[in-house]
Amino acid sequence: MRKTLLGYVPDESPIYAIHPFVKLFFLLVVSLFPMFITPPEWNLFLMLFLLGAMWYSKVNMSTLRIYVPVAVSMGTIILLSYTVLGGTHPEYQLLYKIAGIKIYWERIRDAIVVYFRILPMIFSMVFFLSTSRERDVIVAMRSIRLPFIVTYIFAMSLRAAGMVLEDFHIVRQAEKARGFDPAGKSLYYKIRQYVMYMIPLFALSLRRSEDFTNALVARGYAFTGEASRVKRADYVLTHYTFTTLDMVLTIIIGLSFVAILYLRYGLGYLDLDSSWFLSWLQGAIT
Amino acid sequence: MAPIIEVKDYTWRYLHTTEPALKNINLQIEEGTFLGIIGPNGSGKTTLANSIDGLIPGQYHGIKKGVVNIRGKEVEDYAKGSLQRTIGMVFSDPEAQFTAMTVEDELVFGMENLGMTIPEIRERLAWVTELTGLAPLIDKPPYEISGGQKQRVALAAVLAMKPEILILDEPTSMLDPISRKQVFAVLSKMKQEQNSTIVVIEHSLENLVPLADRMALLYAGELLFEDETHHFFQRMDLLLEKDVLPPGALHFFHHLIQAGYYNGRIPLTAVDAAEKLAQIMKKSVEEAKS
Amino acid sequence: MSEKEPFVQVKNMIFRYPDGTQALSNINLNIREGEFMALIGQNGSGKTTLSKCINGLFKPSSGDVIVDGQNTKTTSIVQMVRRVGYVFQNPDHQLFNSNCWDEIAYGPRNIELSEAEVKERVEEAAKVVGLSEELFAEHPFFLPKGQRQRVAIGSILALRPKVIIVDEPTTGQDAKQSLEIMDFLVDLNENHGHTVVIITHDMPIVARYAKRVVAMGNSRILADGPTAEVFSQHDILAEASLEPPQITQLAQLSGGFGFRAGTLTVTEMWEQFQALVTSF
Repeated sequence: MRKTLLGYVPDESPIYAIHPFVKLFFLLVVSLFPMFITPPEWNLFLMLFLLGAMWYSKVNMSTLRIYVPVAVSMGTIILLSYTVLGGTHPEYQLLYKIAGIKIYWERIRDAIVVYFRILPMIFSMVFFLSTSRERDVIVAMRSIRLPFIVTYIFAMSLRAAGMVLEDFHIVRQAEKARGFDPAGKSLYYKIRQYVMYMIPLFALSLRRSEDFTNALVARGYAFTGEASRVKRADYVLTHYTFTTLDMVLTIIIGLSFVAILYLRYGLGYLDLDSSWFLSWLQGAIT
Repeated sequence: MAPIIEVKDYTWRYLHTTEPALKNINLQIEEGTFLGIIGPNGSGKTTLANSIDGLIPGQYHGIKKGVVNIRGKEVEDYAKGSLQRTIGMVFSDPEAQFTAMTVEDELVFGMENLGMTIPEIRERLAWVTELTGLAPLIDKPPYEISGGQKQRVALAAVLAMKPEILILDEPTSMLDPISRKQVFAVLSKMKQEQNSTIVVIEHSLENLVPLADRMALLYAGELLFEDETHHFFQRMDLLLEKDVLPPGALHFFHHLIQAGYYNGRIPLTAVDAAEKLAQIMKKSVEEAKS
Repeated sequence: MSEKEPFVQVKNMIFRYPDGTQALSNINLNIREGEFMALIGQNGSGKTTLSKCINGLFKPSSGDVIVDGQNTKTTSIVQMVRRVGYVFQNPDHQLFNSNCWDEIAYGPRNIELSEAEVKERVEEAAKVVGLSEELFAEHPFFLPKGQRQRVAIGSILALRPKVIIVDEPTTGQDAKQSLEIMDFLVDLNENHGHTVVIITHDMPIVARYAKRVVAMGNSRILADGPTAEVFSQHDILAEASLEPPQITQLAQLSGGFGFRAGTLTVTEMWEQFQALVTSF
């Protein structure tokens, strides 16, 4: 098992054959798809495709359970804000009137469209984070020739965030070891206790930042001056080769994006009126 | 030959403090020497180490008097980042020294900074992971390895740059006794095979003492004395007075010397001490018989 | 039964991390009131995890931990901290408050004592750790490390736990500071009725202070007994990546002359030498 940003992926997963750049490219491009796809059924199809990709990459599917409550509450919030809090629109088709609140078909429709656009975007993010390690992100950034300093600062912030998280974990335990028990306490009490975490976290970062800078100097790194202009090799990149498969995948991802744009704006598909699901639903509830 | 490290009439006071952290230090370290520096916390050990490796005056503000020369050139005269080609530093906090996202990235970072080519890096990486036993951990991110393992990574990252001088500030504070021994075994190899000049600050003396050619005692910002290791421990009374806790066998031999049972060189390891103790015991038996 | 139940009983305990890796396997351990015990072992051998199971921060995956007759599985953390105190290795992880007084009062307030009781506990704990009144208003962050550690221990003592577990009390401390902090723990043990458990890599400290040693390795307890006895067991120590202090090694190498394998301090060694020499 290898730990990724969001979980564990077994060593024999086919995902390791894919260059990190392709994964990052996939994330950036595929998460744009829903913006140009209105029919919920096509976005649902995209979501199923992403789930299939996760399953194929041997991501532990049971971890997806934690997103179910998120997805449900998000759906509810969207639906409520579009319908109950949607306001009065005489031009829309009125479905029901409950306790003075007017429910329009168009508002329900829009809520569904938005919801099914957001879900695949989240899933492409989850897919990326559950199959990538910090190092993959950095390698992807370096392989598109971002300046070293940019990728290094990014890597250091990941590292710093990791340290803070680790500290946070211990600080919480230390607080418990002093009898802090948030169960059954008021919200104010809980918030106050959370604020208290900041003191040790801040103290630790202050003490560490000095050592961290010294460690960078000790590794011969200089942000300015002669030593910063040394021509540096990128050893880690040599572990990753951009194969024909990677090339093919990159082209497929790119072409699908072009195809979607063409379908939408060239041929007029993928818009609101072309959704059979929505027309079926409209028929069913009106 | 001129000493590789030369500290002359050196005084350093940090800004916003009234007392100097180091007072009038004079110290010469010959190439290939293994020097152990001991002394209580707050006696200036870390300040001395940082004065040699250029973090002082580079990274800290303060007032300097006197001279610190590395290979005959003053520390401040080295261009930024260039002194680290000569001097490698390992600090005590393993967490803050791990700056990358995998062990491998951490090990190659320094080499990349030196402008080494990829084949050179590959070869050096193989050498250093073998030397420090880190090969099984090479792909691990920092949150999956222990504090002790991070300490070994910090050492390896610096060794990979093959500096002529190594300065280690409490490099084994988090390690269990066997891992601690392994770190010192690596240092001993570096001394023998690479003729590295090594300066180690440590509280735990049992592993340091057998390897050190010379020892120095810092106390309240002053270098009380510095000498060849056997001679250093002949002055046990002074060491005990200055709160040094000597390794058990050395302390025991101090009792033997004081009571007149022994007058040779003080042994530095348990094995050496056992041989010498055997001679003393046999001699006592013979004397009792006659 | 004439003998009192052990204060801490760990029975057939297994502990797994959420990701499934087994950190402790089949642990059985009793700690009696008044003991001074050292928990030793390689990095990652499970010492810290075991301690956190004993004070209830972690709950066993199977088996039981019974402290003062209470099973940690069903006892709230508020009840646990009155029985077992755990001092983390780095004081910076456990100092949350903006002055030392509030720091020490934090625990007693969490367990909802009256302000009068809190005051009494803080004053008592501060006295025991030697924290003078001028420092009460100081921010713990600005104290030197030795002092910060004392505040951290004081803040645990204010909860009056029977057992106090201290993780690596001497790491980063010089010889004098190490002896001071250890003498202070002995004082807690002998004069204030606390059972003390230290987790440490410092073998000379273990030899000098601990009466009982529990050696861990590969998530198991490898040896458990009086310090001199455990330090005489070479093969087990090697398995735990440990070795006895130098003076013990010298005594063992010189066993042929009658030195005890369980010699722990220079004083013991010297006394044996004098006795042996005069006996010839």
